[in-house]
Parts: sequence; structure tokens; C-alpha cells
Amino acid sequence: MRARLFLQIASVEARRRLSYRADFWITSAAGFLVEFGALYFLWHAMYRNALQVGGWTLDAMVFYQAAVLLLGKLVRGPEFEGVISQDIYEGGLNRYLVYPLGYLRFKYAQHLGSLLPAALQFVLFGGSFLLFLDLPEGSGVTLAGLGMALGAVAVANLLHFLMSFPLQAVAFWADNVWSLTVAMRLITALLGGILVPLALFPGWARDLLAWTPFPHLFAIPAETLLGRIGPAEWARGLLVGLGWCAAFAAAGRAVWRRGDLQYSGVGI
Amino acid sequence: MIRVRELSKSYTVHTKEPGLWGSVRGLFRRRKVVKEAVRRVSLDVGEGEIVGLVGPNGAGKTTLVKMLAGIIHPTSGDAEVLGFRPWERDNRFRSRIALIMGQKAQLWWDLPAADCFLLLQEIYRIPQSEFATTLDYLSTLLEVREHLTTPIRRLSLGERMKMELIAALLHRPRVVFLDEPTIGLDLSAQRAMRDFLLQYRRDYHPAMILTSHYMEDIERLCERIVIIRDGAFVYDGPLASVVERYADHKVITAHLRKGELPPRPVPALEALARIMECTELLVRVQVARGGVPAAAAALLEHYPVADLAIEEPDIGTIIERIFRERREEAR
Repeated sequence: MRARLFLQIASVEARRRLSYRADFWITSAAGFLVEFGALYFLWHAMYRNALQVGGWTLDAMVFYQAAVLLLGKLVRGPEFEGVISQDIYEGGLNRYLVYPLGYLRFKYAQHLGSLLPAALQFVLFGGSFLLFLDLPEGSGVTLAGLGMALGAVAVANLLHFLMSFPLQAVAFWADNVWSLTVAMRLITALLGGILVPLALFPGWARDLLAWTPFPHLFAIPAETLLGRIGPAEWARGLLVGLGWCAAFAAAGRAVWRRGDLQYSGVGI
Repeated sequence: MIRVRELSKSYTVHTKEPGLWGSVRGLFRRRKVVKEAVRRVSLDVGEGEIVGLVGPNGAGKTTLVKMLAGIIHPTSGDAEVLGFRPWERDNRFRSRIALIMGQKAQLWWDLPAADCFLLLQEIYRIPQSEFATTLDYLSTLLEVREHLTTPIRRLSLGERMKMELIAALLHRPRVVFLDEPTIGLDLSAQRAMRDFLLQYRRDYHPAMILTSHYMEDIERLCERIVIIRDGAFVYDGPLASVVERYADHKVITAHLRKGELPPRPVPALEALARIMECTELLVRVQVARGGVPAAAAALLEHYPVADLAIEEPDIGTIIERIFRERREEAR
């Protein structure tokens, strides 16, 4: 797909997302403040009798949670988990198959466009954190770190998209894949480091996770932003993340090819 | 432009027994049923030709259109559209066809039509001057120029369908598939749609395949008709022959003014038509096509008529009649 077309699709989707002002503010409030508020009070309760948990101070934990929630929205995007399966299930795929372009690339361009509200929320809430709260000792948010973190987010975003695609493509065979996408959301949240930092996992679990794609989704971008990961580890993380992207792209292609033969376009 | 040979499509459908026990059993075991949606059909459509594909619901019309548009793969047989096998989805093929599905919106709901068209311009790589000329031509012909900047979701159904037509034709396709393009539209919107399609054909000569349940669509637009039932073609030929042979009558319904003389069949009308219904509120008669003016005049003369409607038998009735005759021939 040409870059110009890719950008135009992303731009159309971004405009569509921003056309609902109330929706933007409600999802900002409900999607971040409520989620962050719940974790903030939970960690406060857990730190009542301890200065550190797993080597993390309360401030460091709060900053990590804020970072991982904000970056997580840039990785996952809004409602993406059901978009492709819905297209297959309801026949929305038909129109894309008639256009002279690749469906997956079209959807990825749309997905990137849909991230604009999350990007604005990142600037809005992330900026507020830096302005109003003191950074925890030993961690440093720097411009270079921010740039590196955004690079890691770009890879994580592509990886999450490509991981979700084969799961959603199961809709070619099954009537409802909602349970699969919910399972993916929960598993990636736990093993990707959204619910708790991966440093709190036992050593053997961390070693095992290092061989999986999950840490590349949320933990590595967030820890890069907070200065917990150096350039060498960051670069290695990017390469491994891209390797996983290639693996999931191949899996998605295979599932798509078989599913395409099953597709009925809804109705006879 | 379109060449179809022995094309078939079967679907595997899972069935579930009714009731709670059926739902529980369905968790462990499902029954598979193979449905033959299209069975060994062959067809040729030339440049500038509009072929009407008609049949009852579930006959296989949409499945055939979806195969020819490249959306689904056939189970067996072959087809070529503009020299390409549709389901291989070559971009050169997809750049030269259009599919309009009356029951499915193709445009982006939240955006103004103008934004959707700009995106389509980029998708189809339409040069700016050609895009401007075509958009001007289509939006003027369909009388929707003033609605181009309104979000699609705020348009009426008729206006929305017109925008769908523009979106589908912006790249001047050589082959157009129209699946129930006038479904749900009011009479004037249906008429506008038909006039537009005829004008478009005169100007650009595309091959068109049209499916519709409305007799009027078929009559106004198609010289040739293909009747399909249970996935197989049962008639492929000129529309004139099928209408003359099978739709040889019309139905006239006269709504009567309340409280005036109670109606009864009058000999003058009985001589011209078969009385289907005769009550205090209406008289309905079936009359040969050529006898419509005389029967209408007789109704107006002998009954206190408040309103009069003259209807064609619907396409379903004609199809049923063809099937009935075929069954009788087979015996």
C-alpha cells in the first residue's frame, strides 16, 4: 500500500475518532482516571506496612502504573480486539475485498489513526504527572528515554495488532470469538506487565516470560520510559519484538488463507 | 465481459436443535448440513448489457454475485470477469468493478460523503481532474450536491443510497454488480435510481448484473432476465418473453367510499375481469394486461371509488408460476 494512501486512511480514522467530543472526554476520564485510581489506592494499601515491594518503592510503582496504563492505550488502541472478527462475522469484510488494496494494511492504518485520542490522553495525563508529582528516586524520564519508549511502543503496537489478528480470524470458523479476545486481553494484561510489574514475578517465571512476546507489549515500553532499561537492552528488545511480529504475521497469513476459503460474506 | 461456466458453491452450515436441551447438546455436538447455494450455472454478459438476476430469498442470487465480485471462492467451476478470475483478487480486476449492496452500507457512517469520496479517489488512484468531473456528473445527476458535506449517518435512506452509488461508480467501473439497490427506498427514490442507472449505462456502457425483488426494477432496467431457484438457473432469456408469457395479468384494487351503495359484482366488470374480492370497502379484480383500461373504466363507472391501484403481479408470483409449469411439464 502506498504511504500516501496509508496516511489518508489513518487521517480519516483519526478525524472520525475526534468527531465525538463527549466520547473523548468520557473515555479519558473512565478509561484512565478510574483505572489508575483503582490501582493507586490498591498499591497505597499494600505499601501501608512496607517501604518496598519487590525492590519497588510506592512512588516508583505509582509512576510505573501510570506509564503502563497510558502507553498500554497506545499499544492496544480502542476497541481493536473485536474489529476484524466483527467484519468477518457481519460481512463488513465484503467492501474491503472489493477495493484494490490489502485488508490487513487498511485495518492497520485505521488502527493507527484510532490511536490519536490515546496519544492526546498520553500528552494530557503524562504531562500532568510530570508537572504535579515528583519523580521517584533513581528513575529518570528524559527526552531520549521518551524517544526510545515511543520506538518500543511502535513495535509493541504492531506486535499486539499481529497477535490479535489470527485470533480474530478464527471468526471465519466460529460464530463468536469474543471469549478469545477477552482471554487475550486478560493474559496480555497479566503477562505483559499491566496488572503488576514483571519484576514482582518469581525468577523462574521471569526467565520463562523472557522467551515470550508478552514483555514486549507493555513492560518494556513502560520501563524504557521510566529509565529502567538501558539502550542496549532496549535495542535487543526491539529486535526480539520485531522477530515476534514476523512470526505472528506468518501465522496470521496462514490463518487468513484458510479462513478466506470458508468466508461466506454473510447470507446466501 | 463476464463469462461463467459450471459455477457451484456449497456452504457447510451448523444446525442446532431448538430448546434448552438442544442448546446444551450443541455445546458437545453439532450437526453439519451442506447447502448447495449455487449449482453448475453458466452465463455470459456483454458490454453495456444489464442482466436481471431474480429469484426467491435464498435462491443463490447474492452468492453468485459475491463469487463474481471476488468476495467468496466457488466450490467448483470457473468464471472470468474482464479476463480475470474474480476470487484471485488481482488489483487490476478490483480497480475496474463495483459492487453495490442495498442491504449493506459501504461508506463510513460517521464521515461526510465528500471525505469518503476523497479516500476512494486515493484507493482507486483517480486523477484529480477525472475525479472532479465524475463527482460533478454523478452528484448532479443524482441531485445530492448539497448533501456532500453532511455526515452519512444524517442522510435519509434514499440520499444514502445515492451516495453509495456515487462511491461505487467514481472510478468508472467496467462491470457493476447491483444487489437489491432499491430495497427500502420510497417510490420516487426508486425511480430516480433507475433513471440514473439507465443514464449511466448510456454514458459508460458497463456490463451490469442486477438482483432485485421489485418487478419495476427488472422491467425498467433489464432486457434480459435470469431466473434462479435453489441455486440453479431455470430461465435465461429476454424479459419481454417472460413477462408476456407469465405476467399476463394485472391486479386492480378499488378502495370504495364508506357508507355508499353496497357493492356487488356487476356483469360489465365480470365480463372483463376475474373478481378476486368484493366487500363494502374494496373491490379487487384480476385482469388481462390489455384489458386494464376497460376494467378500470368499468370500476369507476359502477362503484363509488375513492382510490384506485393497478399492480403487477410480483416477481415471486411470476417465478412460482414458472416453477409450477415446469413441474407440470416434468410429470
